Amino acid sequence: MAAAEEKEKPATRARLDAITVPVSSQLRSAGLLSVLAALLWYGQAALVADVFSALAAERPGLVPSWIAISAFLLLGAVRALTGWRAGQLGFEAAQGAMAAEREKLIARESLRSPLSGASASAEVASLAAEKIAALGPYITRYRPAMLRTRILPVVIVAIAFSISWVAGVILLVTGPLIPVFMILVGLAAREASERQMQEVGTLNTLLTERLRAMTDIRLLDASQRTVEGLAQGAEALRAKTMAVLRIAFLSSTVLELFSAIGVALMAVYVGFALLGEISFGAYGTPLTLFEGIFLLLLAPEFYQPIRDLAAAWHDKAAAQAVAGELAAAEAAPARTIAGTGGTSAQLAQPGRLITRGVRYRTPAGGELHFPDLGIAIGGKGPGEKIAIVGDSGAGKSTLLALLAGLARPSAGAVEIAGRPLDDDTADAWRAGIAWIGQTPHFLNASLRANLLQGVQEEDAADLDHALELAAAGGIVSRLPRGLLTRIGETGHGVSGGEARRLTIAAAIAAKPKLVLADEPTADLDEETAELVTAGLIEMAEGGAAVIVATHDMALAEKMDRRIVIGDVR
Amino acid sequence: MRPLWKIVRSIWAREWWSLTRGTLLAVAVLLAGVGLLGLSGWFITAAGIAGLAGLGIAFDVFRPSAGVRFLALGRTVARYGERMLTHDATLRSLAALRVELLKGMLRLPHEKTAAFRASVQLNRLTSDVDALDGVALRLVIPLLAAGITLTVTLVTIRYLVHGWMSLAVLAGLVPLTLAALLLLLLRSRKPARRAHTAQNAFRMRVIDLLRGRTELAIAGRLQAQCEHVLDADRRSRIALAEADRLERNSGLLISLAETVTGGAVLALGIFLAQSGMTGAAFAALAFFAVLALGETVMPLRRGFTEFGKMVDAARRVAPMLQEVPEGVRPAETPVAAATVDSGGAVLSFRDVGFTHRGAGRPVVEHFSLDVKAGETVALTGPSGCGKSTLLALAAGIMQPSHGGVRVGGEALTGMPEARLRQKLGLLPQRSALLSGSVLDALRLGAPQASEEEAWDVLAVVRLDEAIRARGGLSSLLGESGSGLSGGESRRLALARLLLRHPQILLLDEPTEGLDRATAQAALVGIRHYLPQAAILIASHRKAEQDVAGRIIRISPKTSRSGT
Repeated sequence: MAAAEEKEKPATRARLDAITVPVSSQLRSAGLLSVLAALLWYGQAALVADVFSALAAERPGLVPSWIAISAFLLLGAVRALTGWRAGQLGFEAAQGAMAAEREKLIARESLRSPLSGASASAEVASLAAEKIAALGPYITRYRPAMLRTRILPVVIVAIAFSISWVAGVILLVTGPLIPVFMILVGLAAREASERQMQEVGTLNTLLTERLRAMTDIRLLDASQRTVEGLAQGAEALRAKTMAVLRIAFLSSTVLELFSAIGVALMAVYVGFALLGEISFGAYGTPLTLFEGIFLLLLAPEFYQPIRDLAAAWHDKAAAQAVAGELAAAEAAPARTIAGTGGTSAQLAQPGRLITRGVRYRTPAGGELHFPDLGIAIGGKGPGEKIAIVGDSGAGKSTLLALLAGLARPSAGAVEIAGRPLDDDTADAWRAGIAWIGQTPHFLNASLRANLLQGVQEEDAADLDHALELAAAGGIVSRLPRGLLTRIGETGHGVSGGEARRLTIAAAIAAKPKLVLADEPTADLDEETAELVTAGLIEMAEGGAAVIVATHDMALAEKMDRRIVIGDVR
Repeated sequence: MRPLWKIVRSIWAREWWSLTRGTLLAVAVLLAGVGLLGLSGWFITAAGIAGLAGLGIAFDVFRPSAGVRFLALGRTVARYGERMLTHDATLRSLAALRVELLKGMLRLPHEKTAAFRASVQLNRLTSDVDALDGVALRLVIPLLAAGITLTVTLVTIRYLVHGWMSLAVLAGLVPLTLAALLLLLLRSRKPARRAHTAQNAFRMRVIDLLRGRTELAIAGRLQAQCEHVLDADRRSRIALAEADRLERNSGLLISLAETVTGGAVLALGIFLAQSGMTGAAFAALAFFAVLALGETVMPLRRGFTEFGKMVDAARRVAPMLQEVPEGVRPAETPVAAATVDSGGAVLSFRDVGFTHRGAGRPVVEHFSLDVKAGETVALTGPSGCGKSTLLALAAGIMQPSHGGVRVGGEALTGMPEARLRQKLGLLPQRSALLSGSVLDALRLGAPQASEEEAWDVLAVVRLDEAIRARGGLSSLLGESGSGLSGGESRRLALARLLLRHPQILLLDEPTEGLDRATAQAALVGIRHYLPQAAILIASHRKAEQDVAGRIIRISPKTSRSGT
């Protein structure tokens, strides 16, 4: 496992770096401003040391006290504003980087061919939404903390050595031990926090799957048992989570312990030196009170950046996981659709749809061979009706996708009216096609908006007529708000057969030159199947060529010709 | 506010001992921090004064330096204890919150629970519960701890330094900090809500884009939908930027408060020391202690930022935790059917009608039917004619708009749910499975079932081979039963129902997704397994109608009756 991790790392690291490249200058400014804010505090600390050493010695300080206090206030205000600005720049950098990643991801996923092997939509959605959001803390917290860790401890050690070599040694001894411990315990904590995230996720999963199954649970009279099961699961999770949290808390306790010991050592050393009990350390003169207070104020600042970095440690781990996922998604060979899927005018001239020696290599590795086709498109009179038949897996749906430019043949060509179906022609070609899928997806919008997706505005008025032709008027009138009913996941549902009939109505309204229907009658009762078949024939009468991929012999027999595929493999 | 208060109280009541100890430890951590810095500042300044006066020998160095070491180590240990205790208590209470929520949801009327199939509702519910997770850890405990620490510090300064010093700290720190927190409290809710809405829209539009890819590409709307998706992302970024600006502004205010207080304490310290009202070392003590107070205030910011979200979440979650009386349903329109003799039928519909709320036309009208024990009846008709609705009405998960259903001669109205479930089983069109072993899945409805019975019923639905191939009854299913094909999960749900041996079996398209031979074998098997059951099938396939003794055709929106 460790070896695999090692191998993965360079790609992941490169990907993680690539995420911040577009915003690198903003990010650098944010980091440097956060360094500046810390340096301003050193100035304030010097002023405070001056005030108290003067007060203790009952003599005037290096600067008059009213100037010291004014300068303290001024530096404090500038420091607050610097921090504010650093936060703003960091936030903007994070937002910019995440927006760019989302845009890239959406653009790539949208053009993926439906045949490319299903990338689960819920997974991509969670990558685009929550997971990419995990890059935010990495950019706003981890990166500036990293920069501070590189600069500030060095500055403080230099200051400490310039005052007293003992003070410098105290920091140097307790300081480097922190990264060592951090690596040891931080590794354990990283794993712990990762596991903890999983556990909390699991608790929510346990709850949601039960809520999703609520009706089933009640129908089985299993409410009591289910509640008890959840309680047990949650308790087991709690015990496991606490076991891993203990490691994480221990690691930060160790860090804190070292910085506490360092500060306490410093305080004790300074105290003894001031009393004259320790005479070594400072160069020549004994340690002054000014130097003592200054050292005491700076000592915690030595550990602060390292502690910030440790606190942001799992931000980096989370970002690495996301970068790894993005890199893996990009490494997978992309099968794209032809064209962009944008709007386009229909291909003007009628002609023939021809395929020549088309083959398609499936994601599983097999190769499908298709017979050559020739179909008249957009002519006068009724359109041709063609059934594509063959065994499951012979490639019926694949052929339809190839004809629509939703996949690219691995060999051979599809041509329309003498022009190849490619990136230049695909959008215009699809503008003349209607698609009737097996499981149509309704967008989360009104039914009307769904049905009019592929319809020109001037044809929208014909929707009612199209619904009557598809025998789908009754479906609409049963919905609470008719065509304005919100449909899709958050809205009202329709059954599989109803969805099919509504899609046919949409296809009729779109006035296509070619209708591609994938198993339009599968899983339908006989009556609904007849209605669907009648709708398809209706469209052919209206002039559209109709190609159906089907198992249903009753449907295939009503077509003008049948093309059998799958006997050649 | 009130719902949040209710949830805080219930969390505190459940875990009061751990949370109280956690709060005390949190106070100890903060006070040790204040004490450590204050003592160090005093120690060094006092040592400096003694050294200057040549009184170094007389100065007691051991007690202060031991105090410094004690506070430094004690603070670290207290922090560890505090984290362990409060996290453990929080995990316990958030587990309890989820259990209570599930309990409450299982008592809701069926019509209301249907909405929670959609993942949007589920996401909102889980994100609400997540938002409430932080109520004790990020809001209540830091607030209590900050209040106590500040009070103790001010009183200590009053006695060790001077009353004016306490007043200066109070006046410098509290008003600006309160203003900063109020700013968050009042203004952060709106952008947080807007961001949440936009993020939900983003997720939903991405899913629409990916699931509807084919249709969108054909319609030439793919690019437009991409734009639509990114538009939601832009809206969420604008809202998040506003939330971030608010947070930074409040951080700026707190930071300024610390600087102003620091300056005031410095100035007052000089004045008090020079006028002999306190020593220079005590002036230093006050300043150093105030430095450490920053640590008490900053953690409050996060809790106050999330406060609005917590209030909203509590408002939605709290009602679901309320008790709802079980099994009592609203009365139906009384019908004469109460006196009609059902003639030995175990399931009878009398003049049943159903209209969706707000819909013009009814889904079912004037439907009457009697089903006897041992009889199989198939309901047929085009999709959308109301077959599923009739089964749902018989199972009591929908209420008829008029007419009534009787089960075993007893009216459904007012029948305790447990008794109804014992007599009657429904296989809905879509059933959900839970993660766990195959045996767990089968035992969900029949906890006493033996392994032998489990294999028997799997054989009835022709699933035994597939389960054996997976590794038997102990083989594990993924989340919501993933790992099985559509047809397999359907048959497992059917087997789970059969194992309860219901007297009345309602099956909604039971052979969907099965090939013809398997479908027929399973249907025949069901009859053999439950010879005396009254079986009512909402059917769309010939195989289902072949096993039926009677076939009732339903045309949409027309009255039908069959007896």
